[in-house]
Amino acid sequence: MVVVQHDDFDAAELTAQLRRRTQGKAGAIVTFTGYVRDYAEDTATDSLFLEHYPGMCERRIGELCEQARQRWPIADCLVAHRVGELRNTEQIVFVAVAGAHRGDAFRACEYLIDALKTSAPFWKRETLADGRQFWVRQQDRDARKAEQWHTATGNPDHHE
Amino acid sequence: MSGATINVLYFARVADLTGKRHESWPLPAPIDAGSWLKELESRYPQLAPSDKLKLAINQCHAKRHETIRAGDEVAVFDPVTGG
Repeated sequence: MVVVQHDDFDAAELTAQLRRRTQGKAGAIVTFTGYVRDYAEDTATDSLFLEHYPGMCERRIGELCEQARQRWPIADCLVAHRVGELRNTEQIVFVAVAGAHRGDAFRACEYLIDALKTSAPFWKRETLADGRQFWVRQQDRDARKAEQWHTATGNPDHHE
Repeated sequence: MSGATINVLYFARVADLTGKRHESWPLPAPIDAGSWLKELESRYPQLAPSDKLKLAINQCHAKRHETIRAGDEVAVFDPVTGG
C-alpha cells in the first residue's frame, strides 16, 4: 500500500493495518520513520517544503514495493510519504515491511527507503530561520548506497 | 504532423528556473531524450549544464537514449531528494 499525502500519519495505526493484512503470515514487522532534520550546516532550519510529481510518486513507490517482494520472501509492505509544508521535527516518511522472518523484513525495509530516496520523485526545499530558501541537493552517499543494492547480494553495508 | 506535441512538466528548482510548471512543446518527429534535452537547454540556457538533469517519460525514469514521441508526458527535474 502506498500513501502520499500532506496530512500527518499515525505510525502505530499504519503498523496495525499492515499487521491485520498479513495476520498469520508475518512473524516480523520492521518499520522505518524519517523526520524533518536540519540540512543546512550553519543556519537553523525553519521548515521544509516537499514538492512531488503526483501519479509518478505512487507508481514508482509501487514498483519498488513489487521489486522488494520479488527479491525477498516478504508478505507485504506499506509506504507513507508526506508532501507540502512541514515544520521542523515533523515526520516525513514511513516504511513498514511484514515478513515471515526478520532478516528479510530488515533488508527489504532498508532497500525500500534507500531506493525511495533516490528514485521516487520528491524534492525538498528548505527554509532557514533567516528566511532564505534553497532546494536540497541529493547526497552522493544516498546515491551510492542505493546503487549498491544492484550489485550487493543483500546488504550494501557489507561493501563499505 | 504540424500539430504533434509533447506535454512538458517542470518540477522544483527546474520550475523555478524556467518560470513555469508545464508547457506544450512541438515535436514534429520522435527524438532521443538526450537530443531533446539539448533543445531544452537552448530555450532555457539557465538550465545548463543539462547533463545533471533527470527526465521521466510517461512517469517512468528515462535514460538519454530513450525515445520521446508525440503525445508523451516528459518531466524534467533534479535528482530527487525525498525520504
